Parts: sequence; structure tokens; C-alpha cells
Amino acid sequence: MIYVKDLRKSFGDMEVISGIDMHISPGEKVVIVGPSGSGKSTFLRCLNLLEQPTGGSIVFDGQEITAPGVDVNLVRRRMGMVFQHFNLFANLTVKKNIMLAPVQLKLKTKEEAEAEAMRLLKLVNLEDKADSYPSQLSGGQKQRIAIVRSLAMNPEVMLFDEPTSALDPEMVGEVLELMKRLADDGMTMVVVTHEMGFAREVGTRVVFMDEGVVREENSPKEFFDNPKDPRLQDFLSKVL
Amino acid sequence: MGEFIEELKLGVYQTFILDNNYQYFLEGIKVTLLVTVFALMLGLVLGVIVAIIRSAHDQQPEKKKGIVLRILNALCKLYLTVIRGTPMLVQLLIMWFVIWAGTRATDGNLIRCAVLAFGINSGAYVAEIIRSGIMSIDKGQMEAGRSLGLNYAATMRFVIIPQAFKNVLPALGNELITLLKETSVVTVIGLRDLTKGAMIIQSKTYQAFVPYIAIALIYLIMVIVLSWILGKLERRLRQSDLR
Repeated sequence: MIYVKDLRKSFGDMEVISGIDMHISPGEKVVIVGPSGSGKSTFLRCLNLLEQPTGGSIVFDGQEITAPGVDVNLVRRRMGMVFQHFNLFANLTVKKNIMLAPVQLKLKTKEEAEAEAMRLLKLVNLEDKADSYPSQLSGGQKQRIAIVRSLAMNPEVMLFDEPTSALDPEMVGEVLELMKRLADDGMTMVVVTHEMGFAREVGTRVVFMDEGVVREENSPKEFFDNPKDPRLQDFLSKVL
Repeated sequence: MGEFIEELKLGVYQTFILDNNYQYFLEGIKVTLLVTVFALMLGLVLGVIVAIIRSAHDQQPEKKKGIVLRILNALCKLYLTVIRGTPMLVQLLIMWFVIWAGTRATDGNLIRCAVLAFGINSGAYVAEIIRSGIMSIDKGQMEAGRSLGLNYAATMRFVIIPQAFKNVLPALGNELITLLKETSVVTVIGLRDLTKGAMIIQSKTYQAFVPYIAIALIYLIMVIVLSWILGKLERRLRQSDLR
């Protein structure tokens, strides 16, 4: 579904991603872990071109999206993204946050989008917040709404950029639980996270990144029980 | 003391009642408000356009900037520099006596000229106010919009500008109040605004105290009403901040 080939990204003279190859198949849940500054967030943001790669290529569903002249907006419609800081639209109510893109991109009528928004809100038990503004919600509620806002576009892949890192500890659970449900429904997911429990339980593959390269990738069981790369061993000894 | 009151009575009589002089005030208020309102609208339109071009230019990575955007940005910068670098009064004189030279001095023409001059002037200040508002919005808001497949313009329109506008409303209100008061310089091209009305009465009656104090009060009242309206609008836009 997504083929990444020799992906590189530099900011000025600083190379943060130094050649990554990866293949993500439909239905896979790829969890990327690594120390901060390892380039994992940048890698994720390259996948939907929020960061423009400086080298290499990404092929999504047969289309090379890094080629010049590609309409990135059309690509992004098919890839949901969830951010560390939620990024709900502060000027819109919860319902309108969810409806904005489908309606403005003329994928749904207002009525359809509203019905869909309510259905999604019911799914996360937040239908009573439909007319609230983001500032009135807790972090966990915001993130669950950010997730369903992406789902309203019916994406084929969901990208999660440290979705629980900005949450109070007691709210991490509700967000992870929703992500697990998504995973069980067969969604293709790429998740950057520090939640090792989630990686072990939900991931179909865990990737360890350090200094802009993939140092090890394996099934969760092998990854955690039998790490080979010395840096990964060191990393796991610190976080587990 | 009694003498002063007698003189004040005479002043009030000559300023307002004699020859129906109060008409100068009424007509003047109308002209002042007309120029202010239309200059405000022109200024807002110009300001938003310039602000969007400037911030689009600044937010775009160096390599992706098209030649058109570069040229537009350069034009906007030139506009800001010239307008903010020269006095309003001089701009108005140039607009009427140079650019509109030879135009018949009808009320309609004078008002149109004043609206244009003040609108262009105000636009430069509004542009920088709005731009500061756009810059103040967390860049995650733009990223979220873009990640959903909305393009730059749509995200600007539905997400960034409404929030930026709310944040800069106090500064915009300040600009509007300045604009309202500054329109008094239209007297130099002979437009009969509120200030010109008082000057005419002075030349007719040799009264200065009452007419000038009167227009000072009228400006003050207009500004107070305006501040009140702005305060209401601000509270309304703050709705999304309720907790």
C-alpha cells in the first residue's frame, strides 16, 4: 500500500532522515518507537507530505506521491493524521470540526456530514459534546474527536503522531482504547508513540528508529523479547 | 460670570439656531460617518488581501514560492512602505489635487476621493494588524486543515482568518477609532464633514468656542458608541473561549 524508498529529509544542513526503506501493507499496524530526535515524527509527516522529503520516493497505492505535479490535497484526503496536540479547530464546534472537510471538499452534503458526525460522536460516546467548543473539552476528549474528525474522511491509512504524549496519564487509556478498536476494525495504521504496551499489544510490526535510520524492525514479540541492535537493547532497558 | 453666560447663550444661538446652522452639524456627521464606513470597508478588504499575500509568502518554504507570489509580495511591501511612510494629509492632497486633478468638486466626487484615500491608508495598517493575527495562530491549525485535504486557501478562510480576526479585534477597533477621527483632515480638500461645518460656522458668526467644543463632543460620543459596539462584537466572538 505504501512503499517508501531511500527517504531523506534535511532541514538546512541537518539531515534528520538518512535513507529509510519501508513497505506498509493494507491492514498493518506499524508502530515506530525511538528516542526523541530520532526523526520518527518527521518520517511520519513525510508520509502525507506535511514535510516535503528532500530525497527518495513514496508510492501510495500505486501513485508516486513525491513526484512533481501530484495534487497533495487529493492524497491527504485518503490519509488521516492525528497530532500530538490534537489541533482541533478552535473556532468551530466539535460537530463542525468533523463536518468541515467533507462538506467543503463536496464529498458529502451538509445533512449527510452532520449525520455522519453524530454517528462518529456516538461511537466515542461524545455525542453530548457536539455543540461544545474544543476549549471546553479535556485532552482525552479532544484527541478522540481529532481521531473521528480524520475518520469522517474515510481514510485508507491513519497516521498517529505521538497521540497520547500530551495527555494527562488518566486520559491515555481512553485514547488507546479507541485506537485499538480502530485497529481491530482493520484500519491500516502507522503510529509513532512511547506507549510500549500499545506497541506490543496492537502492533503487527514494531520499528526502532535512531538518528534518522531504521535500526531494527520485527514482530512485537521478537522486538521486545529478543532485541538484536545494541542501541535498541539500551533504549528498551531505559523505557521498559 | 453673568457676562460669560450671556455670551455662551449668544454663542449657542448663533451656532445652532441662526440661519438653521445646526444643519452643518447634521450634514457633517453624515459625511464623516459615510467616509469612515466606506473607507473602513475598503481598508478591510485591502488589508485582508495584503495580509494573506504577505503571510502566504512568509509561510511558504523558500523553494516552493512561485514567481507570482514573489512579485505580489514585493508590491505589497512597497504599498506598506509608501503608505505608512507618508502623512495621511499629504496622501489626501495628492489624491485630490494630483491624481483626481480636474475633477469637478461636487460632494459626491469629494466623498469618493476621500473614501479612496482613507481606505488605501487604513488598508496598510489593517494589513499589518491582520498579519500579526494570522502569525499568532498555532501552526498546528493549518497543518490539521491541510492534513484533511483542505487546500491553503480553504484552511485560511474557515480556520485561520476567523481566529486571527477574533484575536486582533481590539487592535482593529483602535484603527477604526483613529480612522473616524482622522477623517477630519478632509477639510483640506473642501469636503464638508463635521469639522468643516464648525469652521464654516466660525467664519460666519465669529464664534469659536461653541462650535469647536460641540464637534469635540460629537466626535467623543461617536467614538464611545463605536467602542460599545466593538465591545459587544468582541464578547460575541469570544463565545468559543467559554469554559
